[in-house]
Amino acid sequence: MPDQLDLMQGTLDMLILKAVSLGPLHGYGVLLRIQQISGEQLAIQQGSLYPALFRLEHQGLLATEWGESDNKRKAKFYRLTPAGRRQFRAEAHRWNCMTTLMAGILSTTPEEV
Amino acid sequence: MPILARLRSFTNSFLHRTQRESEIAAELRSHIQLRADDLERSGLSPTEALRLARIEFGGIETHKVNIRASLGLRLLDELRADLRYATRMLRRSPGFTAVAIASLALGIGSTTAMFSLIYAVILHPFPYAGADRIVNPSVTDEAHPQVPTWFALTPAQFDIFRHAKAIDSVLGFELGGLQTTGGNLPEDVRAAYITGNASTFLGVPALLGRELLPSDSAQGSNQSNVIVLNYDYWRSKYDGDAKIIGKTLQLNHIDYTIVGVMPRRFTFTETVGLADVYIPWTAARAPGLLPWIKLKPGVTLAAANAEFQSYLDQFKKETPKHFPANFHVNVQPIVAPYVHRTGPILTLLFISVLLLPIVGCANCSVLLLARGEARQHELAIRSAIGASRNRIIRQLLVESLTISFAGAFLGAIAAYWLAKLPLQLMPGTFPLEAAITVNLPILAFAIALALATGLLFRLAPALRISRPNVSQIMQASVADHSNSTSKRGLNLLIAGQVALTLVLLGAAGAAIAGFLKITVVHLGYDPHDVMAIGIPLKRDTTKNRPARTAYINQLRERVAAVPGVVSVAVSAKGIPPSPPFNGAGSQAPFDIFGAQQQPQQLAATLLISPEYFAILRIPLLAGRVWDQAENRHGDFVAVINRTLAQRYWPKGDAVGHQLRVPSLKDDGQSLSVASPQSGEWRQIIGVVADSKNDGLEKRVAPEIYVPYTTFMWDRTQLFVRTAAPPLASLHAIRSALASANPDQRTETDVAVLDDVLQYQPVWTQQRLFSILFSFFACLALILSLVGIASTVSFAVSRRSNELGIRMALGAERSHIVWIVVKTAFVAVAAGVTSGLLINLTLQKALHHWMPASVTAPWILAAVTLLLLVSAAFACLLPARRAANIDPIQTLRAQ
Repeated sequence: MPDQLDLMQGTLDMLILKAVSLGPLHGYGVLLRIQQISGEQLAIQQGSLYPALFRLEHQGLLATEWGESDNKRKAKFYRLTPAGRRQFRAEAHRWNCMTTLMAGILSTTPEEV
Repeated sequence: MPILARLRSFTNSFLHRTQRESEIAAELRSHIQLRADDLERSGLSPTEALRLARIEFGGIETHKVNIRASLGLRLLDELRADLRYATRMLRRSPGFTAVAIASLALGIGSTTAMFSLIYAVILHPFPYAGADRIVNPSVTDEAHPQVPTWFALTPAQFDIFRHAKAIDSVLGFELGGLQTTGGNLPEDVRAAYITGNASTFLGVPALLGRELLPSDSAQGSNQSNVIVLNYDYWRSKYDGDAKIIGKTLQLNHIDYTIVGVMPRRFTFTETVGLADVYIPWTAARAPGLLPWIKLKPGVTLAAANAEFQSYLDQFKKETPKHFPANFHVNVQPIVAPYVHRTGPILTLLFISVLLLPIVGCANCSVLLLARGEARQHELAIRSAIGASRNRIIRQLLVESLTISFAGAFLGAIAAYWLAKLPLQLMPGTFPLEAAITVNLPILAFAIALALATGLLFRLAPALRISRPNVSQIMQASVADHSNSTSKRGLNLLIAGQVALTLVLLGAAGAAIAGFLKITVVHLGYDPHDVMAIGIPLKRDTTKNRPARTAYINQLRERVAAVPGVVSVAVSAKGIPPSPPFNGAGSQAPFDIFGAQQQPQQLAATLLISPEYFAILRIPLLAGRVWDQAENRHGDFVAVINRTLAQRYWPKGDAVGHQLRVPSLKDDGQSLSVASPQSGEWRQIIGVVADSKNDGLEKRVAPEIYVPYTTFMWDRTQLFVRTAAPPLASLHAIRSALASANPDQRTETDVAVLDDVLQYQPVWTQQRLFSILFSFFACLALILSLVGIASTVSFAVSRRSNELGIRMALGAERSHIVWIVVKTAFVAVAAGVTSGLLINLTLQKALHHWMPASVTAPWILAAVTLLLLVSAAFACLLPARRAANIDPIQTLRAQ
């Protein structure tokens, strides 16, 4: 199981970084943003969101700030730090390379071998 | 950056835990609120929306735990909880805690003390810069390869030698005896002439003023009349006067300006002889230089030896007398002589002291196992409500580590005092520059020991009791679930403890018996109220033997006239019970007239005046002692001791035979003067009784006494017997010597023969062994007894129910006591048996490490008896409680 979990974790981190890179968000907002940009295809487990957010903050990739939400509620907002932005670009690049590679491999036909 | 950020966030969450907690809670609440707002907008009532949001989100506490786990804080949280729980558990049973901590503190304390001693003496004894690279200028004389000899260089050679490739820098020094002048009585001052680079070479800053500088040694300058004082000399002669700098000290009629005082740890060059003062070296002051060599980093001793050999071979051609006939270079680190002298002692003590923490650990294990029975119930409950085995083991280990660290803390404090004990018990054996302090390596050692002991004494019990058979234990009553494996473990531990204790007791017994043997040894001479005063004589190159004889005799007569002095004798070398030391060794070959030279025909030769026998009260057995005329003449007469007479003339007819000692022949050295036929045949005119002359622990060696005038060096000794304790007359004696010659100095250290006995290496060493081994053995014994007593007492409380029933059915009290004591008794018996076996196998090794010890069956019997009797008490005291059990009470309690 750990392999799968690691992969999932890495993916979640990247999704969070992407969501936050579009503008500062509170935790619930991150959840909504990911649902929205994935075309409602991805639903993030509420239980795994906060550990991931705290971990990213702990790693210095996210910075936090208490502020007011749209509907005047007090909420903690996350935004990308420069290190977070660098990390996100690197991750995204690696992800793209990987998917191209995987797509190439998977579409290989017997004649091409 | 991320690492730093992570660290910051980590410490933040660790230190500001509550603040962090409430922030997390606030964020989670706000999340639920935002979700509820959304749900409300979709048409739900506010209460319904909030309820649904909460359900969707799940337990806030679970989220918090997950968050903390994701930050890697969970382990810390758990450890903190474990620690809190452990302290609570330990506080609840203070008796157990105190005994456990004390057991470990004793073991860790003594071991740490011994380690700090080893650290100070062998690993880090000197305050000098790069001390591990400094080597003595030692060479091995092929003729006498046992003891390395040192070589000296001329200033020209020193300059050449300095440039050897292996050498980083060289310090040159020479020791000399000076005397204070311009005061009342001349006093002996030991001076070290050191080259100008001393301050950079040794790298020890002065305590007051400054060190000697290169400019002080500049040729022909007047500035060279400066002097730096040794700490002890400054304390004793100037009472530690802080305003000493700038004052003058007159030595041999030359005024020196005091420019500095060295700190206490600086006792250069105590490897060859202590110095009171340090004076810049110039060629005029000292003709030669002993080099202290600091090798370049990374240069091996072998490489240095190889390079120096060619230098020294060249030097030997220039100054043949500075080197042995055949030699090879064998430089040694400056610590080598100490390692050689104290290494075996420290190894033996360290090995035996290591037994203490082991016994202490065994004790803790015993306590924990015995108590573990009582804790089965608690652990079963914890395991039943979901604690994993790892978690329980961790909890138990945290508990034991808490005990160990408390023990280590107390132990380290105790170690600080304990470490000084051997230094006080064995003065003169350890480098004076060694400072015993509690420092980082030693603390690290104590902590490592604490960790090791904590794991050691806890792991076995933890593994066992962490796997409780839940259903069985939960069903059974609290008191009744002992099983055979735990009993076997307990018995093994007790037996092991007892065995180790017996080993230490055996060693202590052997050490004490050895010491007693030395203290009650028959000396053969009477040391009371006798002292030996060393008298350096002026170097007399004319070799005028009658004048030197007359001068020594004059000194002797002056001292004899001092009130309170009973009689005075001359003895050129050696102070009993040590052998007289003559360059090549204590004993030399001799020939008997008309007999074949036998192998190992050796005897010690003592150069004395005829009063010597009367002063030491050595009885004359046959013949006579030479008279004053024969004494002046020196040749043709000799007196021998009983051992020599019996070995070669068993029929008792030694007197009248002739022998000769070739080593008494004139050696042509400028320092010595011999009578014309000193190495020729001498008639044995008397036989005296044996007296110790080869160390306290060894048998009396064959000895030949000849008149001191037959061979004289630039130093002699007066043996003075006084009516009162001898040191009281010392001042009067020194005045008398000064009245004979105002410039005649005496050596500072006067040997009072009674005290000399207590400075014998074997005496101090054996006393150290006796005291430390007794100390170790006592600690081990106490620990074992506590272990035995606690098993029995736990057995009593665990089985009180059963015992109550037995009593109700009519069992005798003695029978009840026997039931309880039986298991412990079997363990003790097994321990004693194996302890005796170990002792017997170790006897040879013990004798090797501690040569003066006495290993005899009666000693083992005595210590075994001691152990058995005290073990019986340890069993019976708690067992008496079993006999006093009231059957009604215990049965009702169930």
